[in-house]
Amino acid sequence: MASKWTERISAFCCSPSSFLSGTNPDAFLAELLRELRDDRASYGVKVLLLSPLCEYPTLLCSSESVGEETALDLMSVFTQCPPRSSQFRCHLIVALTSVLVCSSCVSNRSRASLDFIDLLLQICQDTSDLDGDGTQRCNRATACDCLFEIEASCPGLLSQHLELLAGLRQQETSWLHQAYAGLQILVLRNAVYQLTKQTGAGAAHLKALLDGNTSVAWEADQEAFHMVTKDSAIQSSLILGPMGRVPTLHTGPDCKELRSVLSSLLEESYLLTPLCQAALFRRLTEVVAMVPGIPPTIFRAQLLRLLGTNEICLLHVTLLMKCAFTDSLFSAEDEAFLLKRLVVLSQHPLLSTPEKLFYMDCILHFPENRPINCGDSDEALPVLLTPQLASALLPTVFNDSATLLARLHLQALGFLEEGEEEGRGLAYIYDHLTALLHIVERGGSRDIVVTFFRAAFLFLFYFQQVEGYSARLSEQLCQLYLQHTKLAPHILNLVDKTLERLPECNWALGLLQGLQRVISTAPLGQLTLRDLSCHLKVLARVAEEGKISQCSTLGFLSAIITQSSSLLCTSGDWRLGNGVLGVCRRVLLHPSLDSLLIPLADILQHLTCYYGDTDIQDHARLYYTLLTTLSREKLSVMLAHSAAEGGGQVKKRTLSCVMAESEGLTNILTVHQTEQPVFQLTEALSGLQQEMENLQLSQDEGDKALESYRAQFSESGFASQIMLKYHLTHTEPHDSRFEQIFSICLHFSLTDDHYEQLQDISVPCLFRQRPPPVVQLTLKPRRPYPTTIHVSAIFTSKDGLTWHTTMPDVHVEFQQAFLPLPVPLSWSRSSRQDVFEGLWDEFCSEMSDCIISLFCCQLREAALKALVEKHFLPFLVSDLSQEDELRVLLFLPPRSHVLLKISSVEDATQFNMATDTRQLLPHMNSYLLTVTSSQDESVR
Amino acid sequence: MSLRALWIISNEKGQKASIRFSKRFSTVEHRARNLAGSSYVAVPEDSDFLQRLLTELGLSNSDKSYVADRDDCLYRPRSPAVELRLNGKGTLWPVLVLSQGPLILACLPLVDILSEPRPPLANLLSVSQGVTLLAGLQTFLLGSGVKLDSAGLASRVATLPSLLLQVCPLGTPLDTPLAGTPTASTVPTSTVTQKQPAWKTGVYRGRATVNVAVVETVRSMQYGNQSRQDLWDVYGTVTCKCEVEGALPNVTVTLSLPPNGSPLQDILVHPCVTSLDSSILTASSVDNADGSAFSGPYKFPFSPPLEPFRLCSYTSQVPVPPILGSYQLKEEENNLRVSVSLKLHESVRNSFEYCEAHLPFFNRNQMGVVDVKVSSGQVDVSKEKNLLVWGLGQKFPKSREVTFDGKISFTGSSNGPSDPLCTGLTAYIKLYLKVPDTTLSGCCVDQHSVQVYSSAKPRIVTSRELQSKEYFIWNSTGSAPVSSGQVMM
Repeated sequence: MASKWTERISAFCCSPSSFLSGTNPDAFLAELLRELRDDRASYGVKVLLLSPLCEYPTLLCSSESVGEETALDLMSVFTQCPPRSSQFRCHLIVALTSVLVCSSCVSNRSRASLDFIDLLLQICQDTSDLDGDGTQRCNRATACDCLFEIEASCPGLLSQHLELLAGLRQQETSWLHQAYAGLQILVLRNAVYQLTKQTGAGAAHLKALLDGNTSVAWEADQEAFHMVTKDSAIQSSLILGPMGRVPTLHTGPDCKELRSVLSSLLEESYLLTPLCQAALFRRLTEVVAMVPGIPPTIFRAQLLRLLGTNEICLLHVTLLMKCAFTDSLFSAEDEAFLLKRLVVLSQHPLLSTPEKLFYMDCILHFPENRPINCGDSDEALPVLLTPQLASALLPTVFNDSATLLARLHLQALGFLEEGEEEGRGLAYIYDHLTALLHIVERGGSRDIVVTFFRAAFLFLFYFQQVEGYSARLSEQLCQLYLQHTKLAPHILNLVDKTLERLPECNWALGLLQGLQRVISTAPLGQLTLRDLSCHLKVLARVAEEGKISQCSTLGFLSAIITQSSSLLCTSGDWRLGNGVLGVCRRVLLHPSLDSLLIPLADILQHLTCYYGDTDIQDHARLYYTLLTTLSREKLSVMLAHSAAEGGGQVKKRTLSCVMAESEGLTNILTVHQTEQPVFQLTEALSGLQQEMENLQLSQDEGDKALESYRAQFSESGFASQIMLKYHLTHTEPHDSRFEQIFSICLHFSLTDDHYEQLQDISVPCLFRQRPPPVVQLTLKPRRPYPTTIHVSAIFTSKDGLTWHTTMPDVHVEFQQAFLPLPVPLSWSRSSRQDVFEGLWDEFCSEMSDCIISLFCCQLREAALKALVEKHFLPFLVSDLSQEDELRVLLFLPPRSHVLLKISSVEDATQFNMATDTRQLLPHMNSYLLTVTSSQDESVR
Repeated sequence: MSLRALWIISNEKGQKASIRFSKRFSTVEHRARNLAGSSYVAVPEDSDFLQRLLTELGLSNSDKSYVADRDDCLYRPRSPAVELRLNGKGTLWPVLVLSQGPLILACLPLVDILSEPRPPLANLLSVSQGVTLLAGLQTFLLGSGVKLDSAGLASRVATLPSLLLQVCPLGTPLDTPLAGTPTASTVPTSTVTQKQPAWKTGVYRGRATVNVAVVETVRSMQYGNQSRQDLWDVYGTVTCKCEVEGALPNVTVTLSLPPNGSPLQDILVHPCVTSLDSSILTASSVDNADGSAFSGPYKFPFSPPLEPFRLCSYTSQVPVPPILGSYQLKEEENNLRVSVSLKLHESVRNSFEYCEAHLPFFNRNQMGVVDVKVSSGQVDVSKEKNLLVWGLGQKFPKSREVTFDGKISFTGSSNGPSDPLCTGLTAYIKLYLKVPDTTLSGCCVDQHSVQVYSSAKPRIVTSRELQSKEYFIWNSTGSAPVSSGQVMM
């Protein structure tokens, strides 16, 4: 049993969505709760059972009411649990907190949540185990943590207990005082925040608050109070630097009560773990920032201890304090010291790389006492960071890649500020880049290669204007490429990104020219086919640049196809041939085509005659014909036609474009992925009800009704399908590219094996302005359980591109599998009733999977009638006008039945159920629960 | 200041990476949803998360040399916080990642600042808290040992649920897991009147003992070249183990330097240190120290935790490296002529626990004939035949100088290891040494300077030690990489 649960829980936590698609969340929740109440289960297993509730409460408790009920169940488990199993009790209150907070019970102050808070406060105050073994103490600590979380999620909820919490903290001598301190400062901070939002609140209110006299503190209207609580701004950090706006409470200098609370917290801060100390200091900072009556110097005594710390979070919170209080707490000396500290820590041999990188980030966002630029997010170096100081952070080849790039970035910012373009600093950076390049040259790992190109980009981004270096880099890159042609994608990526980010800069063009030169002048003898394929890629990119002359490119092409030793033409490699044609095609579009006419024609003709692949020959011939017969204008219009993107007209993909391995080709041959779902399936109401009403019920089957009903199933495929109708509609927000889409192929994939695989469905087109097409899903159940179906689609957009999109999942609800009794339409009511009777008797008597059950609820007669009319009319076997008992037969393909006898007994409504598939019961139960409760509300 | 989720991933060589443990903090997630509003990005399920994290860290598709998503030069990974792009479902940020050996630890801190574009990392306290927790978990899971024992790891992973209940029950980190449980007998406090620190789970009972160990580590880069300045630096740590009675006992440890010793710099202290004199913190390695700097004694009053801890660390600028070396290689026909000399500085105690010089050779065949003469110690060829180990024993000879001369032919049948840095004549010697009972800076803790305010007379043990790390001597006839920009400038 235990191992079964271990497996199931781990399956759930691994992927809740796929786990729940195989079962019903309500059913799973019910199972969990049942097992938790079971005395035979060990506490080890029970702790495990709580983990889905702790981690995914919203999946299991979809509504506030389910959350409330689950919480009540868990609380009863808690009361029955002996105090000695304290681990389990701790886990249990954590689970309770998760359920109540996440299902919004806490924010709506539900009954259960208020009871639970009382319970937690009780546990917190329970010091009965003063001489015990400390287990009770763990419970108290966890209870505090839960209260903390509740207050954090629902600020202000505990403000009336402020005095109690302060008392508890002061009395506590064991390590538990830490939990109380954390809770107290959070509640205090939230309460002060609320006061700042209250007009006219001042010192008196603050004092009342601290004395636990909340009726005075909140004399203003309660509504405003709740408004503040629901505002998410109260949950966010109030320390945003000197420019951030912090709401303030005007108390005047007289707030000694608050001051004494804060001093006592500060005094004991040393006793907290570094993590809790950091949190405490941050909350204290916020409180002091909100109450100008308290001077920031209250922190002064702690400062020296914090400045020397080796704990990352303590130094960090000191920086945040500096951010909030600037020179009212930190002298210029402190500031210089802190910055030096950060530089030291950014390269300290005893710290881990992530810590050092974090400190470097802190340098880039150093909270200066007198910042010059006010931008919040802009990375800039603090004025105090002198080049001499920064030189401790120069990159070296011994750095890991993240550190190296971070240091390079920091130095670049520094040199940029200095305006130092010819200095030694820049020379060092360039030497460093060269050192990296040499490592790449000698066959460095992929990581180093990527790092080098990122470093090169950073260098160019900041210093491309320093001609000497950028020209040299370009030269070195060309040589590097020649040695390692497989770096082509990296180099082209660098070219593209430089052009994208620095459109004004000519460096990238220069590099392309250089590449063209080294490729065309390198001796052909050593050229391998792999090199050639890279060269062709580079040359194709070069040919896209109108400003670069293409003579040498053509010279190179001509040489490789005509030279006697060349294997290229005889081997007839299609890919390489295509590579050559790709270059030619771009040259055809080149502005200087006129001067290239003859060499290009020669190349094309040679390919036409001698290339060892017919396809390449044909296409070369086409290009040759185009080149020799069309005028320049027509040629470019024809070729450019396909290359251009956008515009209103539907583009035709011309043959010449499909041909070459060009951007255009990749574009149409690639299936693009949409970022967002483009359309969705929404349920269309079925016409089942109307059909039923117009029936002639005449045929009478007599005694043999059940027999002839059964006989129908001998025919294979009888009544085995469910048809579900959906509208295919565009999603919002709409994307103009997908206004009109064509040839949509919907593909369905199941998330479980309850149904047979679905066929793909084709929809010819979908226009936004036209009525949505109806899509009919034919589901063939193996077991008629609820399920989720993943849907994806491939379609063509107006501009001829093919797209793949994932659509929102389709959820098949349990009730969607209901069908009326599958008998010929002409059967009379009495025959149907005979079948019902026959089945009922069978289900009640024998057979292993049959089961009967009873569901009760309180529904008035009118409500019941409305419910049956709304949900069960098509399945009704008896007459609706029949007063005493209504009979409903639900058929669920392929072979399952659920029979209902509904009757009112005094003030309760009973649903007597019988079914031949017992696994359907939990689903039926939750369905009835939903429909009856919604009916209940609507009638009331 | 809270975390939304936590993952522990194992990524052993030759095996598929898998999630060993994951935990979502639902109430923090609830807050995240409220705070972020329409820009909320949900945490993906484990398998999806794993795949995207591996891509981000460059660990996926390792067989392909260029993957546009992974290798774009525009993109600069901002470790320790990376971002995961979820197809069409927004970007998950900031995912903190720590990896060591076969383990990758990750967590997602709550962003409690509403700003567009995203706030800087430096403004989010949850980031440093997350890093602290992850580092603590990492130490807990892997121990301090270098080798991973997988059975031990599995059993430690199994204890995580109950461990997290204490250190991070609902997503707000409260403490880091204790790396080692205190061995001494402790009792839970009950009748003390003094408040007990939260970082101390009990109170020690028994004879008071204080153990203070100063360990200095020296690093060096020696080029043997006029144009290249040699580099060395020293950093020290002071580790304490205190067994003292009382909830909040007072102990003071004093570090002192010899007369004319250069001041201790960059002092970092453990949070249990109760107060500090500001003069202790002034000396820093990154600015020009003036002669008038404070040079001790350095007093550290503290109240000790139960487990051993690092009281403080410092760096120091010592005038000379302990061993000055020269390394020369000459290519001769089929041989490599090697000559090395090492000189121990007279101020260093000539009594080693061990001292070894390693001479690795990269990008060559395996070694064939090795013909060397050493003036002291002995030379071994490693099993893989690409490394010479020159063991120098416990003592340098009286002259304090040792030499190594020889010829090596690389005629082995198979290739040795490759290294992109050490090609041609770029080569190094790496020194491994440990000298007990000495420090380079001269820093020491006098037994009598340790003060314990308790009734019984405590037993006090102090020790010191010098060891090396990254101690390189580069071949002076080849080019050597720059290891510090500061000196170059």
